[in-house]
Amino acid sequence: MVVCIAENINIMSKNIGPAIKERKQGPVQAMATALADNGVDCLDLNIGPARKGGEDLMDWLVKTVQEVIDLPLSLDTTNPGAVEAGLKAAKYGKPLINSVSLQPERLETGLSIAVRYKARIIGLLWGKDGMPRDANERAAMAVDFVYHANEAGIPTQEILIDPIVTPICGDVNQVLAALEFMGMIKEIMPEAKSIVGLSNVSNGVPNDLRPYLNRTYLMMLMKHGIYSAIVNGFDAELLKIARGERAKHIKLVHGVMEGEKPDPASLDQVELEYYKTTRVLMGEVLYSDSWLLA
Amino acid sequence: MRIDIPRVAYTGTIKEITLGRNKNKITIGGESCYPFHLFEGTMPNPPKIAMEVYDSAPEDWPDSAMEPFADVVDDPVAWARKCIDVYGAEMIALQMASTDPNGKNIPADKAAAIAKKVSDEIEVPLIIWGCENVDKDTEVLRSICEICEGRDLIIGPVVEGNYRAIGATAIAYNHTVIASTPIDINLAKQLNILLGNLNVPDDKIIIDPSIGPIGYGLEYTYSVMERIRVAALTQEDERLQYPIILNLAKEVWKIKEVNVSETEAPLYGHKKSRGVLFEALTAQCMLMAGANILIMRHPEAIGLVKESIKDLMNS
Repeated sequence: MVVCIAENINIMSKNIGPAIKERKQGPVQAMATALADNGVDCLDLNIGPARKGGEDLMDWLVKTVQEVIDLPLSLDTTNPGAVEAGLKAAKYGKPLINSVSLQPERLETGLSIAVRYKARIIGLLWGKDGMPRDANERAAMAVDFVYHANEAGIPTQEILIDPIVTPICGDVNQVLAALEFMGMIKEIMPEAKSIVGLSNVSNGVPNDLRPYLNRTYLMMLMKHGIYSAIVNGFDAELLKIARGERAKHIKLVHGVMEGEKPDPASLDQVELEYYKTTRVLMGEVLYSDSWLLA
Repeated sequence: MRIDIPRVAYTGTIKEITLGRNKNKITIGGESCYPFHLFEGTMPNPPKIAMEVYDSAPEDWPDSAMEPFADVVDDPVAWARKCIDVYGAEMIALQMASTDPNGKNIPADKAAAIAKKVSDEIEVPLIIWGCENVDKDTEVLRSICEICEGRDLIIGPVVEGNYRAIGATAIAYNHTVIASTPIDINLAKQLNILLGNLNVPDDKIIIDPSIGPIGYGLEYTYSVMERIRVAALTQEDERLQYPIILNLAKEVWKIKEVNVSETEAPLYGHKKSRGVLFEALTAQCMLMAGANILIMRHPEAIGLVKESIKDLMNS
């Protein structure tokens, strides 16, 4: 089963962003309740860079959400003060810091906050030179991150490594590298956990088509035992997949990953969609917006 | 010890497309290997160069580009004839620059009359290139399609915003379309799928991946073309198995490095050679990436590239 963290409460979102900025509790609480009812395991609270007034905003947001739900929270901002404010206010389960990257100045501050509040952290594999180029660089950076975190006093099982998922409309090799890394992390550091920003894979894709890519890519990551994902908490089908409820479709996707070539004529509509999407995400068919029709 | 030279395993070929009419037909495409990998496959039709002609006298060309055409720039027909008769052009590309709403903005019927006149007076295949304004091109290119029925023109750029209107008209009057996308392989594939859904025949589509000249993004165009060819030839991607055209001269001749004077930038060297070499080298890079048609300007640059094509085809 994949731990699901809802990405929806986000200051950049057209729906809920304005309510967060204007400190309107109603819409934020309604969304938090709806996400909890959908069965997500954790809520991400994204307030962006929040350079000014981030502390107050995060404090307000955490308290607002906690008035209606009792899920653990993920505190998503690059402002360390705001992260701390969120950690002080968070009272359910173990809060998650989203995220700490390998850039030296970020790493030190992030780790010290995590130690002080005994929080879990997302280790974002973004280093001095930006994004890793392949699975091996991801593995090396992951080892590096865990080493630094351990040194600071954070146990490996409190670390969620994020290998960075990139859009399918970009370089498919990067999509495959994140996948390949999932297969490696278990062997290198069995105690470390993993996480992805799942929706990134469909960034730039027409909105109505994004779920196909998100769901299929999740199934593919599940083959390598992914621990958690930040997801669209309103995609009910995706949440079912995360709970392992779609065994038949998961089996089909994993089969295609292993090189099985089912006869497309033998597949029903939904299976055909998964088959075509898996082929695109495996780099066997070049992505275009019409991939399901071709 | 025997050494096995590694060979690419090709699974596809580029579609062969015949352009023009009567005795002056030209066939492009048909290659079954990467550009000039003649040790691995065949290139039955060498790349072609189309010489550009403008629908009215250009105002922003450097003297060195203007000089070969100074006597004909006011008359597109005479200009096209000079390209064919004096410089041996195998194809002509008529640039409909004066239709631009931000420029002279000549109306569609006037533009169509110019295109018709040129198409009547030349026998080689004729490319018509719009002003790259989505709405104006729709109007102008549709008029030209109609009035030039039976001339088997090659028209473009056809983009996501006007492919339905222009594509449908091109089918009706039997012209070839140039599917143009902004240096992006996924969008290139998508537009070809959309044209296919519209029922534009497979032998009436040419890909324009868009070009930045040397120093202005050539490497992006290069790598997109390279990926298009890899997908087409080794990954059975049918919607990318089309010939490629590049409208390069007008991009090259407007860059700073070609236009700045020798007194302003003495280190840049001789001004005329600079322009010729920027054009020839941009074209040469595009050949190596898989171009089938190059739209070019300066006769000396064209001479260099022709020679290179000949050498490469005989290597």
